[in-house]
Amino acid sequence: MKTLVGLVVLFLAIFLSFPIQEMIPPIAVLHGARLLLVPALFCYGAVALPTPAMLGLAVFTGLLTDLAYLHVVSGQVEIAVGWSIVFFVILGLVANGLQPAFKRGHWWIPIPVTLVGTSLFLLMQFGMISLRREGFFFNEVVMWRVLGAGFLSAIVALVLHPIAVWSGRFIGDSSFGRRTILAKP
Amino acid sequence: MKKLNIILVVVILIGAVILSTMGSKPMQGMQSVFLSLVSPFLKTGSAVSQQIGSVGQNLKTLDELEVENRDLTLKNRELMATNQLLRDIEAENNNLRDALEYRERSVFQLLPARVISRDASTWWNTVKVNRGFEDGVKSDMPVLTETGLVGKTTTVAKNESIVLLMTDETCRVATRVEGSVEQGIASGQRVAGAGTPGEIQLSFLSKSANLQPGQKVYTAGVSGGVFPSGILIGEVKTFRARALDGQAVLEPAVDLAGVEDVFILVGAK
Repeated sequence: MKTLVGLVVLFLAIFLSFPIQEMIPPIAVLHGARLLLVPALFCYGAVALPTPAMLGLAVFTGLLTDLAYLHVVSGQVEIAVGWSIVFFVILGLVANGLQPAFKRGHWWIPIPVTLVGTSLFLLMQFGMISLRREGFFFNEVVMWRVLGAGFLSAIVALVLHPIAVWSGRFIGDSSFGRRTILAKP
Repeated sequence: MKKLNIILVVVILIGAVILSTMGSKPMQGMQSVFLSLVSPFLKTGSAVSQQIGSVGQNLKTLDELEVENRDLTLKNRELMATNQLLRDIEAENNNLRDALEYRERSVFQLLPARVISRDASTWWNTVKVNRGFEDGVKSDMPVLTETGLVGKTTTVAKNESIVLLMTDETCRVATRVEGSVEQGIASGQRVAGAGTPGEIQLSFLSKSANLQPGQKVYTAGVSGGVFPSGILIGEVKTFRARALDGQAVLEPAVDLAGVEDVFILVGAK
């Protein structure tokens, strides 16, 4: 039951994160890197949820991400719907593999997963549009946008843990600290 | 890993691959539905930030005056944009009169729209506006302001549309340069540098073009294209001759980072 509630909360939070992150302007000092809430929420869920629920979350997150970033110009699609689903399923499986350590009390695990996951996601997007367009290049601005967004999302992941623990009080999960609304020891 | 989980992963991956083979139209249809779902939140956020931004102004002026001022400003911008288009029509008309060949040309209808969200992604330069197919908007319609070209519509939802900005690499526009016979293709950059945000590249010029800073660049209005001729794109900042052609850097006519009110060119009156 707690898993189901946690899953529904994550579905809603991820859906609402799309308009919210659109309202947050890019960070000029990080060369236009953006604060992405969605990968942080997904990575937290992927580490904490059981595998089938994580897969459901990956499909939901991937589909909405593809629709949010779909770029069609004159009938040409740059990144087809479906690629983010594949990415989030793979990222989710890796993150899910770290769940035993998370349940043992290593609450910080979603933070590096979010950093790497967000950066890899942006790198995948950049690589795919570079393949579609004329050639690949990598400069300082690209690096900042990829790693800067990763670090910003990692900070969000850091904030998520106390929120998840606090939320646990409202659904009858009285054991705090290493347990959250999602992860059962 | 449990057998059930492996089956689930395989089914999801097959489903994702099938999804990725869909055509652009169904994908845009799905995006249009998603856009309609998130737009109430975007519109609320936009309205709130607008309210916060105008708090000081409201304290200084009467509400009625503010509304009247807004309407008049909007009307003024619409007239200026129409005027800009008419100037080009006048020039064309004079040329045709000289040649004694008359061809009727339609006057464009401008639909005012407001930007509800900007810079939605890391790699693409787009904004969302509060007009959709219910207002007569279709994909590939030019978007402009009274000062020049903004871009064109891509995905259109019921009451919202995505506008691809001129500063995006995938927005390519045929252009002509004021005071010369030069024509080229204007497009944005994939990733704008920290010191050069929002510049436009003008490529495929002749090596000997020797464009001067300040020269104005307009849409060329090629047959079957998206953009009509005579819309100001920007001014030349620099020009350099390359091995095979010439390339100029343009300063956009419109401040695309701060644009709030735009017009969508929805067709002939």
